Amino acid sequence: MGWRKSMEATWALVRRAANELLRGVLAPTIFFLGLTSVFGALDNLAGFPAPYKDWLIPVSLLQGAGFTGAATGVNLARDIEQGWFDRLLVSPAPRPVILAGLVLSAALRSLIPAIFLLIVGFAIGVQWPGLDGLLIALLVVMGMGTVAACWGTTLALKYRSQSAAPLMQAGMLLLVLTTTAYAPLALLTGWLHTVARYNPVTQVVEAARQGFIGSVTWGNTWPGLVALAGLLAVLSALALRGMHRTAI
Amino acid sequence: MPAIEANGLERTFEGGIHAVAGVDLDVAEKEIYAFLGPNGAGKTTTVRMLTTLLQPTGGSARVAGFDVVAEAANVRRSIGVALQEAALDPLMTGRELIRLQATLHGLSRQAGREKADSLLERVDLVDAADRQVGTYSGGMRRRLDLASALVHEPKVLFLDEPTTGLDPVSRRTIWEEVEQLNREGTTVFLTTQYLEEADQLADRVGIIDFGRIVAEDTPGRLKAGIGHPHLEIRLVEDVAERAREVVAGFGKPRPSKDGAVLVELEGGAGGVAPVVRALDDAGLAVESLDLVEPTLDDVFLEKTGHHLEPEEPEAGESE
Repeated sequence: MGWRKSMEATWALVRRAANELLRGVLAPTIFFLGLTSVFGALDNLAGFPAPYKDWLIPVSLLQGAGFTGAATGVNLARDIEQGWFDRLLVSPAPRPVILAGLVLSAALRSLIPAIFLLIVGFAIGVQWPGLDGLLIALLVVMGMGTVAACWGTTLALKYRSQSAAPLMQAGMLLLVLTTTAYAPLALLTGWLHTVARYNPVTQVVEAARQGFIGSVTWGNTWPGLVALAGLLAVLSALALRGMHRTAI
Repeated sequence: MPAIEANGLERTFEGGIHAVAGVDLDVAEKEIYAFLGPNGAGKTTTVRMLTTLLQPTGGSARVAGFDVVAEAANVRRSIGVALQEAALDPLMTGRELIRLQATLHGLSRQAGREKADSLLERVDLVDAADRQVGTYSGGMRRRLDLASALVHEPKVLFLDEPTTGLDPVSRRTIWEEVEQLNREGTTVFLTTQYLEEADQLADRVGIIDFGRIVAEDTPGRLKAGIGHPHLEIRLVEDVAERAREVVAGFGKPRPSKDGAVLVELEGGAGGVAPVVRALDDAGLAVESLDLVEPTLDDVFLEKTGHHLEPEEPEAGESE
């Protein structure tokens, strides 16, 4: 199958997944509103660099991407259980094309909860991150959606059952929560401080956050992109390995 | 070159379950070959190995001239597959599904559109083409599944229990379509637990039980091979034991089915009258008598020691 045909096959799978667009749109916005109400006064702490809602919104954006990506895994597990996935596997479409169709749909779909959340956020006074800040945040959202989808896909291919859904959700949630998601590194203590310091997703969060709490710089951007690329390389390799293992 | 060839094909699952325990196959081009066996006999596992969905744990197989492991991509290009429990996305329309399938097989958009039109017409789904698959009946879903397996005009078609659960009318429609495809040159490998399906459709039948082929031939030769017709006797009262003693002298007794007394008659129809007289003399009132020619179930019984008892289609699964 040539490059163009492969792209068309990928796109066909992306479109199919678009049927499930609305799922998970609201959850990150609800989390965002809930958390800013409960913990909004944290920004009174000495050393807290920005209003709490500006601080938190990139995290909720990434959570939305995590949910969307994990949903890709749950949907795949359902497709495996119901036999739909076999239909894809007996087609001559190369395995990477099938995988690309699955995870790229997650990248695109993760923009939907993000845009919804941003509209609500701006309505309640979240700082405008500038066009560059916004584009970087959205790029990071797509990247994390893809990472989460690779994670979900890997688990779906391993367990072949929707009962693995909590693992798919929890993995991404943990990865995002053990960063500077809720407070700056300087205010974190103990093990969380250590984990957040070395968790590559901290760089991803900071890249998405920079426009909301200040101005965009290359120095704050590239570590996030490198971290994303690393996560993508590892998790897509795992997912592809799962694809090759699931059938001949 | 055979369309399907397998040598000692095996699949063992975790826990040491031998689902397929050394299957040899030699299916010629343009043949309809039926794999007949009960649930759990190894039919689906064999099909999954031949269609590259499952790695064999032993032996080898070639489909359309390609090795199913080393040349899996070429195998997939050459085969059409309609799997058991037709997996169709209920939210897609029939037309969308066939177009997606066409795209996955590398057809251009235009070719996919034309293919969808012709295939939907072929399986008589033009009126339902733009309805969501979730609204289709069981028979319509199977026809759509069959159509989607044909987008790339495969040389070899695998149908895993294509009519299980369908009503007789829908079943016959599928049979006619399979026969038509075969006349056009497609090799068909189907699995079934229905004797009639194997008998009607197949050029050759392989009977599989516990992962092994126990008999293989044309339906006619298989039936002729086991010989004689048998007499099925039902009695007015519950006196089957006594009846069995009475008829024992007239031929080989067979395991009874649904309370009837079964005895093989070497002389065919000529042997019926003496049996009836003997039962009458013994004072046993006969409710009904049937002289039954050998069926594939008899072949199955002879080869495996038990009857093939497929699940009957559920009532109401019609269009």
